[in-house]
Amino acid sequence: MSTTNVSFRVSSLRQGIPQPSFASLRRLGMTLAVILATTVIAQDIKVPDAEQLVGAAQGQPVSGALLDQRTNETAGLLRCPVCQGMSIADSPSEMAVNMKHQVRELIARGYTQEQILRYFERSYGQFVLLKPKFQGVNTLVWILPIIALAVGIWAIFAMMGRSPAPAPPSLADDDDPYLAEVRKLTGKQS
Amino acid sequence: MIPSLGRLLVLLSLLVSTIGAVLGYAAGWKQSPDGLKWARRFAFAFAALMAAATFVMEYALITHDFSVGYVEHVGSRDVPLWVTIVSLWSSLEGSILFWGFILGIYIAAATWLTRNEHLDYMAYAIGTWLFSGAFFSYLIAAPASPFQTVANPPLDGPGPNPLLQNHVLMAIHPPFLYLGYVGMTIPFGFATAALMRGRLGQAFLRPLRNSLMVPWIFLTIAIMLGGWWAYEVLGWGGYWAWDPVENASLLPWLTATAALHSALVMERRGSLKGWTVTLVQASFLLTILGTFMTRSGVFNSVHSFTQSPIGPTILVFLTVVLIGSVLLLAFRIDSLESDSRFEGPLSREGFFLINNLLFVLFTFTVLIGTVFPLIVEALRGKQMSVGRPYFDSMVVPIGAVLLFILGVGPALPWGRATKEQAKKALLPPLIGAAIVAAIGFTFGVRNAWTLVTLAFGGYAAQVTLGQMWLPVIQRIRRGDNAGAAIIDSQLKRGRRRFGSYLIHAGAVIVIVAIAVSSTMRTQQEVPLRKGESATVNGLTFKFLGTEERTEPHRTSTLALFDISKGGGPPFAHLAPRMNQYAAMRDPLGTPDVHTTIGGDIYLSIMNLQGDSVVVNVILTPMVGWIWWAVLLMGFGGIVALIPFSPPRGEKVPLRQDSGQAPADEGSVRIEGREAVTS
Amino acid sequence: MNKVVILVAGVAITLALVIILATGLGKDPQHIESPLIGKPAPDFALQAVGTHETVDLSRFRGKPLVVNFWATWCRPCYEEHPVLVSNAQLLQGQVQFLGVVFQDKEEKIQGFLNERGSAYPTLVDQAGKTAIAYGVGGVPETFFLNKDGKVVAKFEGPIDPDTLQQNIRKAMTQ
Repeated sequence: MSTTNVSFRVSSLRQGIPQPSFASLRRLGMTLAVILATTVIAQDIKVPDAEQLVGAAQGQPVSGALLDQRTNETAGLLRCPVCQGMSIADSPSEMAVNMKHQVRELIARGYTQEQILRYFERSYGQFVLLKPKFQGVNTLVWILPIIALAVGIWAIFAMMGRSPAPAPPSLADDDDPYLAEVRKLTGKQS
Repeated sequence: MIPSLGRLLVLLSLLVSTIGAVLGYAAGWKQSPDGLKWARRFAFAFAALMAAATFVMEYALITHDFSVGYVEHVGSRDVPLWVTIVSLWSSLEGSILFWGFILGIYIAAATWLTRNEHLDYMAYAIGTWLFSGAFFSYLIAAPASPFQTVANPPLDGPGPNPLLQNHVLMAIHPPFLYLGYVGMTIPFGFATAALMRGRLGQAFLRPLRNSLMVPWIFLTIAIMLGGWWAYEVLGWGGYWAWDPVENASLLPWLTATAALHSALVMERRGSLKGWTVTLVQASFLLTILGTFMTRSGVFNSVHSFTQSPIGPTILVFLTVVLIGSVLLLAFRIDSLESDSRFEGPLSREGFFLINNLLFVLFTFTVLIGTVFPLIVEALRGKQMSVGRPYFDSMVVPIGAVLLFILGVGPALPWGRATKEQAKKALLPPLIGAAIVAAIGFTFGVRNAWTLVTLAFGGYAAQVTLGQMWLPVIQRIRRGDNAGAAIIDSQLKRGRRRFGSYLIHAGAVIVIVAIAVSSTMRTQQEVPLRKGESATVNGLTFKFLGTEERTEPHRTSTLALFDISKGGGPPFAHLAPRMNQYAAMRDPLGTPDVHTTIGGDIYLSIMNLQGDSVVVNVILTPMVGWIWWAVLLMGFGGIVALIPFSPPRGEKVPLRQDSGQAPADEGSVRIEGREAVTS
Repeated sequence: MNKVVILVAGVAITLALVIILATGLGKDPQHIESPLIGKPAPDFALQAVGTHETVDLSRFRGKPLVVNFWATWCRPCYEEHPVLVSNAQLLQGQVQFLGVVFQDKEEKIQGFLNERGSAYPTLVDQAGKTAIAYGVGGVPETFFLNKDGKVVAKFEGPIDPDTLQQNIRKAMTQ
């Protein structure tokens, strides 16, 4: 039996029963007009969408297990804005869950990971990217460890080059004084 | 009454530690035995005062004395007794008092154990320890005082953070962590003292190594407990998030491990002295940095205590000790390094050096990643994050190479190895590498890095086991009885060696288990109604319904699940829950875990409404191995630490290499060189 | 490894580390700077609670605008609601207030408003996309737009009267 990823918390486009208004008669009249024209008005709702912000989807629409996998992957790269350092893949907070659903929807529509990261970066800033972008001053965080590694390797060769004193009395294979004693006792070399 | 008593004890400890520190340094400078005697007395006095202050605080907590500031902050009549006791370290002020308490114990123990030894530089060591003691006493006395008097004591308090009441590990993890962290002060004192005296000979090695090993064992286990706790309590199914405070606990562990290895080369070859001392100093300095990170409010972390004004104070102390250590090292470096004989890269010493460098690189990378957002914000005014993806990509290659070295290093002999020797040592373990990688492959591992890790792990496992049992095999070949060979080699004379290889064995398992558990993990959100079932990876989860449980400080709603395999009967029953604490507005979830040798089945509630639940199902292979393997490492450390004294009338006078000093403590023979109290 | 190298390297590392850490002191690590400040606010048209009328953001051009993101499951939102309502009534005609509710049920929202009063349209954010476009990390968060629809300020957490008025002044003048 397959599993779905729909969380019960997502508030869907729920029209429900129009609430009776409480104020003036004018309001009541407007409500009646609204009830009649509900479907028409619902079409006019517009929400800021990824398309406006990062353009059309550049990849192929995805579904099924691959969709789950890709969602987790991308969600793992986005930081939950209110938690302390957790990704939206792991965080149970409302905003994180909301963002994760948005990631899922965008992947299903065919947006690439790069586009989705750009989409979130636009509204939240670089703060939301858990993997530092390789750009500007951020490159340092990737390069400094490599430089440190290079310095370390150079240091090793520098130290290896130095062999001033003669080698100590040969100890062939002796890695432990205790072991050396045992060998002496047994009269064997190995 | 109690607040005043507590404040008095803390002030006295500040006085005693300050005087003791000055006395210690003066006695060291003047080489005065009387001064040393008095410094020792002050050290014991400091320990006693810190202990007394701590007991007074615990008494106040247990009797719910809300006139004491800290008790008003974290005390509560509704929580169980164990929570009241551990609330000593649940919040900032109490935790620093706890630090002082542990520091006192360590100083007292170190002072007692060295009462007849190292007379020429013990005074400096005590001075250094009490200097640290004075700083922490100052913190407890002034900026972070838990003994403030409350004007109108309330009848009850809020209790500690509910997240800290969820699990019994709250009682174990922090003490272990403090015992690890604070303990780094002791080897730092020894290193500083030895540098001040300009003597870093063999006599200094034993106290250095032992005083490094004890906190190392605690810190190793503490880090594991932290991960295990996060795993069991937080609900996201992971055990390490590269959170700044987690990193803060890892940094001194890395340098301490490197220092232990470096000290081994110092013992056998007399080289790498500068390295060893620097690494020991770094271990202590990183614990101070760690304390700053946790308590300053500078870092965004799950563990952060609330913002407090002690950040700048700790930073000042860190600066002072850092500059002092740099100066000391610079001016004494000439008396240290002079005989670095490196026989070439294909030797055990060569690999020790590479090992040192890798650990330092590891430390540097984690440190850079943790503070980088601060750097960028200071330079550019922009906020950015350095999170898990960065650390994982950086650390995985380093970890893999370390595992490689763990295999190749111990296989190589000391000194220059001939091609023949190298081949004989390095080729056979390839069998182990192939076997373990093949096993992984059959179990479904396809990730390249994981397979490489498995191969390196198999290699290292074969080398480790081979080396571990080498003395036993040799003795059996000579004709010794197997049982006697084992007991003598592993449990008596060769204990240090055996213990070390146990640690390595544990480390190999840990690294392999981390690789497998990270890459082979399955996670899925499953919505279910009461009575419904769902299948994930061949396991069927049936939601049975909910159950309410009421305790004095919280109400829990449990979601009951039966787990079965195929069509069979349920083999496990899990009950993740949502807890509503009286003191908190929003409910807090607690996951439930079923552990088997193969892996864990982990359930945490994402959403629970009436008869519908959305549960997070996380299947992680081999994660349980991590906890047990780390315990093996700790056990190995204990084995290596226990000193060996030969029974009387011993026919074969074997050298003591397991740490116990004979009567003439200064003479320890190293390969043809006899160094007497150098 | 000689004296000079150690001194120079050691002091350099010390200074670098200490200065970096010192700069972090006093800042709130939880606060996130908004990249939207100084930029045009993302446009949206959402349904109002109760009337079900579609309210378009661009309708309010020409007047400073306060957009408050909240939800009924958010406790601090209860505290700030009276502040917003009273200020909205006070500044009626000069400043427009808008509420955007995130991840919530309409009945609950309506009940909340009935109980605590309402002085401006409260819109329901479909699928939380508006919140994401504005970079909302949690609720409550309040955005201040000037008459041209540009974001001039963002405030995280329950807002108090002084901060509210301060930011409104900013929206009026910038």
